[in-house]
Amino acid sequence: MTLLRDIANGLVGMFLADARLTGAILALVLIVAALTLAFDVEPLIGGAMLLVGCLLILVEAALREARRRGWS
Amino acid sequence: MEMVSWGVAAPAVSAAFVASLVEVVEAFTIVLAVGTLRGWRPAALGTFAALGVLALLIVVLGPLLDRVPLHLLQLVIGVLLLLFGMGWLRKAVLRSAGVIPLHDENAAFAAETEHLAEEARRKHTSLDWIAGIAAFKAVLLEGLEVVFIVIAVGAGRGLLWPASLGALAACVAVLVVGAVVHRPLSRVPENVLKFGVGVMLSAFVVFWTGEGLGVAWPGQDLVLFVFVAVFLATGIATATLLRRSAIETAR
Repeated sequence: MTLLRDIANGLVGMFLADARLTGAILALVLIVAALTLAFDVEPLIGGAMLLVGCLLILVEAALREARRRGWS
Repeated sequence: MEMVSWGVAAPAVSAAFVASLVEVVEAFTIVLAVGTLRGWRPAALGTFAALGVLALLIVVLGPLLDRVPLHLLQLVIGVLLLLFGMGWLRKAVLRSAGVIPLHDENAAFAAETEHLAEEARRKHTSLDWIAGIAAFKAVLLEGLEVVFIVIAVGAGRGLLWPASLGALAACVAVLVVGAVVHRPLSRVPENVLKFGVGVMLSAFVVFWTGEGLGVAWPGQDLVLFVFVAVFLATGIATATLLRRSAIETAR
């Protein structure tokens, strides 16, 4: 059972190492999908939002983790 | 196997190769610790058992991918890969800035050796069994990541075979170099590779997820180079910012 638990933890860790990062990415994709598929927003605008959103999420996640570790 | 041009396959092959290299090096360190401590029988048994499980998973799950509609596949894999790639990039940025320590294969080797000996003392059981399980677990976990990477960069674009070849080349490269040097491959610049893979995966995924949502990217595949440059610049800028703020705080 320990083996299965370790494997499950490893798999979960592949995608959920940082819960807030995961939540933010899922929320971003959902928002962009809703805007382009349900509200007829120009797909290219949705694509640009996806790119910029990912970059902002990345920067925020790195700065947040650094703060949490008392880095700055 | 459908023929694809090298220009189309190269990004998938190189992404799969580099990402798999990082994973295989980590698995190799554990297998080497097992082999060094208890001999190569439990190490080989654990490794081949894990490879068998991985092969079974691929044989069972692989054909299912063909049944999933392309756009849905791109979107689902895109989201999973985005979580994976951004996670790698975040960690690589933090390691590059010095916020978290670099992964040290020599330290991992020593820790695994100590862990195996401790487990044997604590459980009063056969060290061969524990060693074999350790090798099995390491190869299975890192192998699952390799399988995921191959599917992620290859599926949905008809590039599963080229991506698989990239991953296989990484396995062969690590095995050959590992057999020659016979110690942990600590000189592989793991964080640089992770940084590169994180950038490539994130760029690929934004592109594919966008396609899954119906975006017609200007310049088509060429826009990938722009995405790579933007993610790379953002990652380097964030790491530099963190390093500078630490220096200023220390003054």
